[in-house]
Amino acid sequence: MDSARREALAQRVLALSGAGQTEVMVHSGRNELTRFTRNAVHQNVAESDVSVKVRAIVGKRTGVASTNLTDDTELRSLVQRAIEMAKLSPDDPGLPSMPAGGATQAPPGAYVRETATASPELRAQMCDTIFKAAEEHDYWCAGFVNTSEAGVTIVNSSGARASFDGTDAAVNVKMNATDSTGYAEGWDNDVTRLDAHAIGKLSSLKARDSAYPRGVEPGEWTVILEAAAFGELFTYLSDHFSAQSFDEGSSFLSDGLDKQYLGRNVTIVDDYAHPLSPGMPFDYEAQPTQRIGLVENGVAKNVVTDSYWANKLNRPNTGHALPAPNAYGPQALHLVVSPGSKSINELIAETKRGLLITRFWYIRTVDQKKAIVTGMTRDGTFLIENGEISGGVRNMRFNHSILEALNNCEFANALHRTGSYSYSVVVPAAKIEGFRFSSGTDF
Amino acid sequence: MNFDALAQRALDTATQRGGRYADIRFETDRSERIEARNGVVATLSDSTSRGYGIRALVDGAWGFAASSDLTEAGIDRTAARAVEIAKAGAAIARRRLGETPPRAYTDTFATPVRRDPHDVPLGERVRLLLEAEKALHVSPQISVGRAWMDLWSIDKVFYSTIGSRIEQSIRQTGSGIETMAVGEGDVQTRTFPGDIGLYKSGGWEIIEEAQLRENAQRIGEEAVALLKAPQCPSGTFDIILGGSQVSLQIHESCGHPAELDRVMGWEANFSGVSFLEIEQLGKLKYGSDIVTIVIDNTLPQGLATIGYDDEGTKSITSDIIRNGMLVGYEMSNDTARSIGRESNACVRSQSWEFVPMIRMCNLNLLPGDTPFENLFDDIKDGIYMESNRSWSIDDHRLNFQFGCEMGWEIKNGKRGRLLKNPTYAGITPQFWNSCDAIADKHSWKAWGTPNCGKGEPMQTGRTAQCAAPARFRNVRVGVGYGG
Repeated sequence: MDSARREALAQRVLALSGAGQTEVMVHSGRNELTRFTRNAVHQNVAESDVSVKVRAIVGKRTGVASTNLTDDTELRSLVQRAIEMAKLSPDDPGLPSMPAGGATQAPPGAYVRETATASPELRAQMCDTIFKAAEEHDYWCAGFVNTSEAGVTIVNSSGARASFDGTDAAVNVKMNATDSTGYAEGWDNDVTRLDAHAIGKLSSLKARDSAYPRGVEPGEWTVILEAAAFGELFTYLSDHFSAQSFDEGSSFLSDGLDKQYLGRNVTIVDDYAHPLSPGMPFDYEAQPTQRIGLVENGVAKNVVTDSYWANKLNRPNTGHALPAPNAYGPQALHLVVSPGSKSINELIAETKRGLLITRFWYIRTVDQKKAIVTGMTRDGTFLIENGEISGGVRNMRFNHSILEALNNCEFANALHRTGSYSYSVVVPAAKIEGFRFSSGTDF
Repeated sequence: MNFDALAQRALDTATQRGGRYADIRFETDRSERIEARNGVVATLSDSTSRGYGIRALVDGAWGFAASSDLTEAGIDRTAARAVEIAKAGAAIARRRLGETPPRAYTDTFATPVRRDPHDVPLGERVRLLLEAEKALHVSPQISVGRAWMDLWSIDKVFYSTIGSRIEQSIRQTGSGIETMAVGEGDVQTRTFPGDIGLYKSGGWEIIEEAQLRENAQRIGEEAVALLKAPQCPSGTFDIILGGSQVSLQIHESCGHPAELDRVMGWEANFSGVSFLEIEQLGKLKYGSDIVTIVIDNTLPQGLATIGYDDEGTKSITSDIIRNGMLVGYEMSNDTARSIGRESNACVRSQSWEFVPMIRMCNLNLLPGDTPFENLFDDIKDGIYMESNRSWSIDDHRLNFQFGCEMGWEIKNGKRGRLLKNPTYAGITPQFWNSCDAIADKHSWKAWGTPNCGKGEPMQTGRTAQCAAPARFRNVRVGVGYGG
């Protein structure tokens, strides 16, 4: 559904509401994913939907209802349900008025027609290219090729009106050899910029070069985290930049802004318009999203807000609301870590003894306040000796504080987009000193 | 709404376009959530979604397409898309994966509900949560209080080209409370019941069973007490895990590795593979003799209890671990046939727009014969842990590390001081082989897990693990805090 039809639908629903304030969000989306294993497609799916969500405010009370049934009867019922729920909710004295929005513009490259119209045949061809990379080495591969498009339109009774259409594409490959594996990935709004051959080849080389893995002792290591590994680790800090966590005491920033928490080489921004990951220029209240500095040279500068938390903390609304209903508070969804000056190869060359890590798995927070997390290495872990990669090592479990890591790190000079179903960040590779591993595996 | 005509149209279209087999699942999902947070209602929402997913099998390759467009044109387009996608996969296939299911059913199933939650006025539901949340605030050190309730209804009808027509009405309900205390330079959380709330199949009776108001003050007090509690020591100890923590241990270290799609590499790039390889079937001593873990998708009130799975296979009970030995898997039609067995109805999808795949369902560790209080008897120096706080396990499901919200030292058979930040770690088969006592049926409970992630696109599954507290010997404790 294009933005004009979404807006017409949203305005139609808005006109049905007699609530004091009403917000209507229309979401349309199409997601297609071809998933493969052992050099064959085993899950090949396409899904499309249009949904409507109404947030009604009656006095200082809120109700939210949503549906994907869009005939007149259902839409009237939707609005009534939202209003009835609002009337039954107790007053929230801190509830602000809905924001009036403002002009926004989608960043260049957010929507790419070739991605939106990608066919099952195109995805199959990309898979076939990866299968051939596997077959060259007599390996087997597992992964996916994904293309999607999504549109969001939000209107409210304060006059806000915002629409955005975006696309996304991804290739993800785990290459499997006899006793080793290798991983490579690509993320881009433009499917034509994803090089399936290069991704397949890189994952093959990682599997080849990590063959015959040896065990190394757990303990403190110098590690070089490739972007996929560092990005996943870093994501576990993202909630700390929320005004809600900041105020409630669970953030490492809760002791106050304008303090030095991280190394002087650490600068973090939230930037929806970054060229590697151009996204939606407004939040889920139709408030324009600010490109905002969160940490500058290790000093905390800002947390992100939505209308509720901006009002509560008397701070500017930075436009980082999640979709209603939202108990998680505002969130920084487009984190970018500034790069360093050396290439990853230079960082490796300067390492006397360390580990090069392709990817982590199953990271979970062990201690919220100290930002200690645990997780496993997977799919390409290498020993570095005297500045060179000397072979693969068996996987290990780490337990380490992200704050400690960001006080003992050096970044590579290239930025990469990395992510998963739940996050997307733009980060460099990172060299971290004294990274603690607690146990190993036999694989 | 009667979907018979639309279903026939979809199956005819898929067949005419080249599908050797096809099925269609119409689903209407309603999800209601209320969450009270720090004295206000942060969430009061009611969401409805209706649509259908079509699977088509062409030359051994599956295609799946889903849409909410319920017009005849929409049905035609989506059925054709499912076949088109299957053909694209078949064109590059190195081998055939898909098979037609072996038998058809015509049947209905409905979750037994003692009291429809909608018979309870919304205002009363909101009041219950506000009162429970308020009772958590026992001290200024309580920074966050939360109380929530989820009501889920799933109405679906499954049709297939081999003649199935299965209509199901599933009702699932859950609620819980959580609090966060901040002070002493620390942050501590407590959750009840278990680590995520109490989630089961059923109606308002599940909310009443949770007893949120009755337990909220205690939970708040425990969170505050944890701020001043000593750190759990590091070292090797005998440990006792509370029932909800045993439930999660089953989920992560038995439920996931026993998914046959994972064993066969279907999840290799994301969720991972499994150490429970097919050649280990009947040979691997997974746990001690007292460890028996069974699938029971017919269990009354089990969160994953349904009549038929999303491939149209009737729910049954079957063994995964019998007296410590690996004897079975969670299976679909395709994966079961590949090892010469029949599906045990473990295929689910999150909702209409997702492809059905193998999911953990109700997976139960059978109770032992030791009264809970006697688990402590011959522990000289150990730790008792309750209520999960963090969980991590490798992509083969061997090396795990879990943390709990609370611990207590055990000295000479008696529960002693409260300890904070307890963690433990191990390797799955060694850990389960160190299990030497499981509490009896009086402390055996169905713990629902409503947020199990798997697959790409990611799907959220609703599983349950029945468990009682259990004792494990010589376990590494305190990892992450110097251990």
